[in-house]
Amino acid sequence: MTTEPVRGGDLVGQGIGPSNPQRRRLGIGLIVVATAGLLFVVVSQALDAGGAIHFGFSNWRPTLYAYVVWAIALGWGQVLARGEAGWRALFILPAVLFVFAFALFPTLSGLFIAMTDWNLSAAVGPRFNGLSNLVALFSDRFYWNALGNMVFYTAMVMVEYAIAFGLALLLNADIKGRKFWRVTFLLPFMLSPVAVSWMIGKSMLEGRFGPIARLARWLGWESPTFFAQPWMAKLSIEAMDAWVSIPFVMILLLAGLQALPKEVQEAARVDGAGPWQGFWQITFPLMLPVSVTAIVLRMIFKLKLADIVINVTSGGPGGATDTVSSFIYREYRDRSNVGYGTMLAMVYLVMIIVFVTLLLNFLSKRMQRMT
Amino acid sequence: MTSITGGARIVDDGREAASRQTRHVIGQIALYSALVVWAFVSLFPIYWTITTSFKVAKDVQAGHLVPWVDFQPSWLGWRSLGLSPDTIGTLSTVRDEFMLRFFNSIEMGLGASILAVVIGSLAAYGLSRFQYKFLWMRNNDISFFFLSQLILPPVVLALPFLVLYKELALLDNPVGLILLYTLTVLPIVVWIMKDQFDTIPTELDEAAQVDGLGPWGTFVRIILPIALPGTVAAFILSLILCWNEYFFAALLTSSDAKTLPVMVASQTGSQGINWWAMAALSTAAIMPLVIIGVALERYIIKGLTAGSVK
Amino acid sequence: MRVELYERMMTLQAGRRNFLKGAAALAAGTALSNSFVGKSFADAAGDLRKQILQIPGVGKGAPTDADWQKVGEMCLAATKANVAEGEFAGVELTFMGLNNQNLHNVLFRGFLKPWEAYTGAKINWIDLAQADYNPRLQQSIATGTVDFDIIEMGAPFEGDTAGKGLLDEMPDWVKAQIDMDDYVNYLKAPVGTWAGKTYRITIDGDCHTFAYRKDYFGDGSISGMADAPTTWAQVQAVSKAVKGKKDPLTGLDAYGFLDPLKGWGGFGFYFLEDRASAYAKHPDDPAWLFDPDTMKPRVNNPAWVQAIQDVMDTMPELPPDQINADPGTTAFQQFLAGTGSMICWWGDVGSNARTSDSSVVGDVVGFSINPGADKVYNSKTGAWETPASPNFAPNMAYLGWGVYVTNRVSADEKKRKAAWSAAAHLGGKDLSLWMAAYPSGFQPYRNSHFDYAEWEAAGYDRAFAEDYLGSNADSYNHPNAAIEPRIPGIFQYYSVAEDELAKGYAGQYASAQATADAIAAAWEKITDQIGRDSQIALYKASLGL
Repeated sequence: MTTEPVRGGDLVGQGIGPSNPQRRRLGIGLIVVATAGLLFVVVSQALDAGGAIHFGFSNWRPTLYAYVVWAIALGWGQVLARGEAGWRALFILPAVLFVFAFALFPTLSGLFIAMTDWNLSAAVGPRFNGLSNLVALFSDRFYWNALGNMVFYTAMVMVEYAIAFGLALLLNADIKGRKFWRVTFLLPFMLSPVAVSWMIGKSMLEGRFGPIARLARWLGWESPTFFAQPWMAKLSIEAMDAWVSIPFVMILLLAGLQALPKEVQEAARVDGAGPWQGFWQITFPLMLPVSVTAIVLRMIFKLKLADIVINVTSGGPGGATDTVSSFIYREYRDRSNVGYGTMLAMVYLVMIIVFVTLLLNFLSKRMQRMT
Repeated sequence: MTSITGGARIVDDGREAASRQTRHVIGQIALYSALVVWAFVSLFPIYWTITTSFKVAKDVQAGHLVPWVDFQPSWLGWRSLGLSPDTIGTLSTVRDEFMLRFFNSIEMGLGASILAVVIGSLAAYGLSRFQYKFLWMRNNDISFFFLSQLILPPVVLALPFLVLYKELALLDNPVGLILLYTLTVLPIVVWIMKDQFDTIPTELDEAAQVDGLGPWGTFVRIILPIALPGTVAAFILSLILCWNEYFFAALLTSSDAKTLPVMVASQTGSQGINWWAMAALSTAAIMPLVIIGVALERYIIKGLTAGSVK
Repeated sequence: MRVELYERMMTLQAGRRNFLKGAAALAAGTALSNSFVGKSFADAAGDLRKQILQIPGVGKGAPTDADWQKVGEMCLAATKANVAEGEFAGVELTFMGLNNQNLHNVLFRGFLKPWEAYTGAKINWIDLAQADYNPRLQQSIATGTVDFDIIEMGAPFEGDTAGKGLLDEMPDWVKAQIDMDDYVNYLKAPVGTWAGKTYRITIDGDCHTFAYRKDYFGDGSISGMADAPTTWAQVQAVSKAVKGKKDPLTGLDAYGFLDPLKGWGGFGFYFLEDRASAYAKHPDDPAWLFDPDTMKPRVNNPAWVQAIQDVMDTMPELPPDQINADPGTTAFQQFLAGTGSMICWWGDVGSNARTSDSSVVGDVVGFSINPGADKVYNSKTGAWETPASPNFAPNMAYLGWGVYVTNRVSADEKKRKAAWSAAAHLGGKDLSLWMAAYPSGFQPYRNSHFDYAEWEAAGYDRAFAEDYLGSNADSYNHPNAAIEPRIPGIFQYYSVAEDELAKGYAGQYASAQATADAIAAAWEKITDQIGRDSQIALYKASLGL
């Protein structure tokens, strides 16, 4: 990080008052001194770890503390040096510095691991193998199979969104016992995924006595099996995941609905529009930004779907329910093949970033046209 | 939908009023039917879980549904945790284990959620109101930078985090887990809160500035109260996600910082599954969330809108 | 026991019960020659054993924490002989193990509480769910974050730990305290040692046995067969014969042998091994999974392909959603609940059949060693052989849990002694009897566990105990037992095999051969990755070659 990572801009034409030159020098000086201090601690720890000199550090905590001190000095220095703009930078600095500190090492070491041939059981440890893992990935047909499944699971997010929107509207209506309904609708999200897998996946959907199987039989399905045929299995997994996650989307949308200005909806009514028209012409467009957030967050969670699949089907039958995460999970954990497993994840990460970027661009264009 | 229940407007024609009345009643019936149907969908598996904690294996396998009608409730599940009436007074290592994990879960869930909501809201307000530039990154890129932290399947972070936490002496340390959980829920908070702040007109900020409030004063005194519904929603969602986090809890804790989800998962293994114990644990585990949900629900209501402030 | 004796017994087969009685008598005469039977009741130890078996008493419900502590207290004599009171004051040890349905580690806590009180040491516990065990162990080793002094570990992981020099060698006083000569034969060297050194305190013996429903066989039974099958060909025939009929106990659809078709974190592969070992484990060759000289997988040889083909052939006769049934489902949700008539499993099914509330089959369940095969494949000649009597090769799946001490304590003699003392307490001879008799997650593993008189005195039904324990004893002492290799990464091999099998069963591969070839290719890749030469050396070491 350079000494001046964040630069405040203009807020609605309000100029940034030039701060007192003395304070400015003080602020910059503070940042420079703190940076030098941080560098000193990092370098001496690195030398100590490398064995060049001996300070007797037992761990890297000193670097952590130095980073915290540096971060505080950086924030303070910003305020001193840049006044109002510095105060504005303070809003975002904690989150950025926090995420940066935690993401830096795992990302770098993840990239390194992805380029090694590393089976944890191998006595030789990691061996650098460049992009071999990437090459191997392209001929791994069950990885692509899992990716194909993700298309289905991700597409189903739109169905979940539709249901969640309906529920959010219900909860937003003038209803009696609001607290009860809201907490009730939120309950499925509170159950841990392990419990969902077992209580629903293995108990309620059990073929002989499970209540859902019995209901299915009562409805005329002779031998209900929820995980034997590929499509049925996919749908069953999706249904469980939807049951858990719809409340997540619902709460976001509900919070969005509650934040809508009242006049807007009143205006819709005064215009004489029916509820249906009112919804499509007024509420839905206004809810678009919240909807985009809800859908994007939900899709990212969906793209990481793993627990239920691992516990209930292990990806079966024949990979029909496998997700990329559960696939990686088996490679990385069950087979300790961490180099290849990490590369699978990194490629997936790139794909998701591209996908989400395109999606956000597409949606923002659509939104501009609609509003 | 709000307009369905919006109440009758005064209209001249009596017949029209009557038909509106009918439509209103039908609307109400449809509304409550939908509520009841979804409540059933939401509650039945929970009911199944709670009743299972009072079943013995026979009743689980036979799919018995109603206590006292088709099965006799038993304390088996709760007894195996040392939480049944007859074992509550005696020494039980299982209960000690449960309580330790329970309070750890509360500590870490609350710690991470509060931290994430605080720094996430600040960042979201900044992103909503000011233009930042850091190297090549502008506001949208910074938002996406936060979001991208959410994408990588956590399983491949196992080795990096083990090494990192070993070097920082944060293994089996509650602080380590709180920081990690904060990292995982921070993007959600930032995105939710940014939406909330975006819907609040900037005129409010300007008015506050005219009144002599700085950006922080504006944020704390004027904007944050308006964004309360979103803040509470973000907090609840973060709390639930942290509460149920299993993967890192199993990886990074040993004997001090361990949390509940690992114990729930421990009810399955090579001897099949202790349905009753898993159900009892799951039931016990959602209780704090329900209580917090009930307590905080009231804040997910219409905040002060632009109109009411004017 | 010698092969010929065994073969003769199998051909005689005058009836299930007679055979088992014969086998038990044989076992008493040969394997138990060190005369623990009978002697145990003569001395004071015998009284102790009788007393602990009364806690809480068979049929009195599942033991609780208080019972574990009481048993731990009563079995403390061996510790007191080697350790002075308060000798380990100030010592803190970390113990990593499983929390399997609140057994394993939770049980150990109870047992060790009195030990802690006596010695003054304190134990911190790391409990893992079964699914996390392997990755956690591997990742701890790889990142240098091993933070435990004592570990509960399955013998197959010795390749990953002992093979990397992470374990502390057992001191001689421990060997004496736990009476290692009492172990059943197969758990002694070479299986009980690693490269000639002893590391493991065995607390469990593992093997798969064949459990069947007695009411499916006999005169007028739905299978039409007089006796339970003893070969896989007969098993297949029974599955076919009962298809479409009704179960005599539950009145629901009847099924034959239950193959778990879904993986189970690597453990599912043991269930294919049950079928394959009969075809693939040649009495003259200790190896059956790999060629010991090249590590070339044998999993795609005709013997294994036959086993996979057998499973595929029987799929139409399995319950409708079997493709999603893992071994836990077949045992606990199907067999014990009255679905299906035959299964291969660990001993838990035997003790659970009688004692678990979930079981409806307690009165109609019988046991024997795993079925054999009419032909056996000789990997050396590359040809099938047809022995005079069927080839049996009981599957010693998982080899049992053990307690190990890591080298973290090696430098500190006081800590080291404390760690070994705690481990020895858990592996004590009397304590182990209690673990074998009550729900613990562990099976009998000592010759002294097969003293049926003790079981009867404790309240067990003699005939049941003989049948259930006899099948275990016969498997342990079988001369052609299929022993699992303890090479590094063995669960990786199982895990990938399980994945490929699941695809094969779902029709993703053209045939059993293609499925087997896919497994073999994946195994070759793992071997190359871990290091072929070292794997060959360790494989040979683990087979005692």
